[in-house]
Amino acid sequence: MSQQNNNLTKKDVIIVGTGIAGSLIAKLLTDHVFDTKKGKMVYRTEVDQPEDARELSVLMFEAGLEAGLELDSAASLTTYNEYIRKFYMEEAKVPNSPYPNLKQAPSPDVLDMAPITPPFPDKKGYLVQFGPMPFASDAIRVGGGTTLHWLGTTPRMLPNDFYLNKKYGRAMDWPINYDILKPYYEMAEFEIGVSGNVAAQEYPISESMEEYYGKDYVFPMEEIPQSYMDQRIINGLAGTSVELNFENIPLTMVPSPQGRNSTPNPAYGKSRVIKAETSDSGYKLILDSSDKEEYKALGAIWNPYMGERCEGNASCVPICPVQAKYNALKTLKKALYKVNKNDNLQKNHNIQIQAQSVVYKLSVDQADQEKISKVHLRRYISQESTNFIEEVIDTSDSIVILAANAFENPKILLNSKYTVFENGQKVEKTVANRSDQVGRNLMDHMVMLTWGLFPEPIYSYRGPGSTTNISSFRDGNFRSEYSAWISPLDNWGWSWPAFSPGSDVAEFQGQGLFGAELKEALQSRLTRQVLFHFEIEQLPNPNNRVTINDQYLDALGIPRPVINYELTEYEMKAMEQAKMASDQMFARLGVEDFTTYKATDNNTFVYNNVRYSYNGAGHIVGTYRMGDTPEDSVTNSYCKSWDHPNLYIVGAGNMTTLGTSNPTLTLSAFTIRSVESILADLETKLKN
Amino acid sequence: MIITTKILNVDDYYYGVFLTISEALTGFSANELLSTGLSETYYRYILDHIESVTFTEFLNTSKNLIEKSENSGQLKNYISTEIIGIPSTQAIANSIITLWYLGTWEGAYVNDLSYKEGLVWNIMHAHPPGAKQPGFKSWGVKPVNSNS
Repeated sequence: MSQQNNNLTKKDVIIVGTGIAGSLIAKLLTDHVFDTKKGKMVYRTEVDQPEDARELSVLMFEAGLEAGLELDSAASLTTYNEYIRKFYMEEAKVPNSPYPNLKQAPSPDVLDMAPITPPFPDKKGYLVQFGPMPFASDAIRVGGGTTLHWLGTTPRMLPNDFYLNKKYGRAMDWPINYDILKPYYEMAEFEIGVSGNVAAQEYPISESMEEYYGKDYVFPMEEIPQSYMDQRIINGLAGTSVELNFENIPLTMVPSPQGRNSTPNPAYGKSRVIKAETSDSGYKLILDSSDKEEYKALGAIWNPYMGERCEGNASCVPICPVQAKYNALKTLKKALYKVNKNDNLQKNHNIQIQAQSVVYKLSVDQADQEKISKVHLRRYISQESTNFIEEVIDTSDSIVILAANAFENPKILLNSKYTVFENGQKVEKTVANRSDQVGRNLMDHMVMLTWGLFPEPIYSYRGPGSTTNISSFRDGNFRSEYSAWISPLDNWGWSWPAFSPGSDVAEFQGQGLFGAELKEALQSRLTRQVLFHFEIEQLPNPNNRVTINDQYLDALGIPRPVINYELTEYEMKAMEQAKMASDQMFARLGVEDFTTYKATDNNTFVYNNVRYSYNGAGHIVGTYRMGDTPEDSVTNSYCKSWDHPNLYIVGAGNMTTLGTSNPTLTLSAFTIRSVESILADLETKLKN
Repeated sequence: MIITTKILNVDDYYYGVFLTISEALTGFSANELLSTGLSETYYRYILDHIESVTFTEFLNTSKNLIEKSENSGQLKNYISTEIIGIPSTQAIANSIITLWYLGTWEGAYVNDLSYKEGLVWNIMHAHPPGAKQPGFKSWGVKPVNSNS
């Protein structure tokens, strides 16, 4: 393969990955410039003299195809239509189905998951899975990352989620808490565009909702309506409780906050800007509301007037056809285009994105504070060929930000070895891995599903994937014994566990039905299908981990993630308790239970003589956790590596524990916060 | 019963039979089937994808049953015994039903329209995910046609 040293001018910032973490950082950094007179980073419109503004140069790498990153109107519409067409044609409409499946940058796919027979790994897909339990979630390597197929549910974490150890004697506490993160949650909710009703939220926490959200806080947009099915279930369960082991828990059904457009909330008022303010202690981001414009929903990247409101496509996972659902390309586009002084959008030439570029290794300069001195990548030329160009980027004067997902970031780090002399001894080290925590503590929500038939039609298969969740089990003293969980009500019938409606058609055909009788049977079955999720918090476990192994390489010769994964009694007991809760709720609603867990399911186990099965939630979290000390964590609370002065590692992998929230909002909040530290580092660098 | 749909040309002699037997198998009227815009596509797709002898045999059987039926009730009984009751023709009948209901033939969509025109979504008062979106808040109320 040819090799070339990239002789581009040195960049201030290198970002690996264009998902939500990378895009947020790109957008926020390019909104600021270095004011050479003040010697400070300032919001770009607040430079006193235009000639004092020194723009930041940013280079982003994306493993996915170049087409996925062409964000001008015509090209982005063309690419996105290709995704939609592929989605229509795929028989199994799984989360990755609309997007290119690349041999040069493969993605884990739920269709590749299979039971494992130790000691032999399952290596059919991209992941090499040693188990004993298969890791059950996928992600996609494409411009915009996995936000292209996220559902968009955006609950915040609860205060006790940050103190699992102090409160319940489990796992490890976060280096930050809810109060510290709160202003950044507001920024994330603004940037994502969250719709929801603060007043309708109800959680099992000691804080009042006014304390939790802050007085008068509202989401940018009004609530996404709860489904007709939700209302029927709420009517049947409101005011009741369930009896778990030793505990009676009242049921609270709340409308879920979501990153999809509804109607801007007049009480939210003006649009906002996220900008840095300086103080003696450094930079502080604030959510400034002095904008002259009212808040507006941001629609599709190809046409902001499309997708200004959710249209009820009922396909959020895997793809929103009108982009009413947030995806990271919307934020990325704000990095690529800036409003000029005439209020027009203008291409920002200080940021470049290089696609089809798979970063696989970092080098360290031992002579210079163990700085990251080089980023190594392989750039493939076309979707068809695995030929690639080896490129090396000099980063000795750059800040390097790894913003890939929680499989890819640790994979890159573990593939980056260097030797140092300590006390005359040659010691081999791995980048950012002083704590030996890189790749460890891989977590996901284990989604136990229960499904049945409601006594009357509730007309599922309509609306966003979920519009209501049962919040009752998100916190409580039981967390010293077993996991907390969140229970979204699923609007899409039995499509996930039973492949409905196709399986129902086949089942009734098998009974010899056709014509009007077949229609009636299907109508009765399909209009009454309900599905409950029990998304169980998994604890960090050092043995659940991503490693690499020279035996397992991808088509570009880059190590594939090797996964070891298991669950503990803590999570198993939670599923037992969750099933008890499900049984009681089904009985109260008159739901006829059709749940079956089979020994042949991918993720299944027997606990107290009862079988349980679960699925992945797509919440791939925890492989480079943040913490208070370099001994037990990979980064500090600003996502900065403890070991290298110019390395940040951001994304879901920083999460110390999982909580019961879908992780994207939380990772966005602390990724936004990390920009304060990056700005301070840039100031130091640019002053010199 | 009479096969009412006009024959477009000699090659399409059996097209009308296909449509009439599809009505009986799916429980949807010819108008509903035609309004998918896919009836000819499906007819030709099947011709291309199974042995023409097999399909012709199935259509000949269907034609005979249709012609000797006085009414739809009688046709239904004939279909039960002489199509659904016989494994080889039952398989074709179920494939045809699946094609209309789900838009797939042997697990694969015929084209992107066939996914969107799957009739099963009409049966459940919903719509194919990602297409024919019913609009904001539609999911918050009973489907408009659910009482009809």
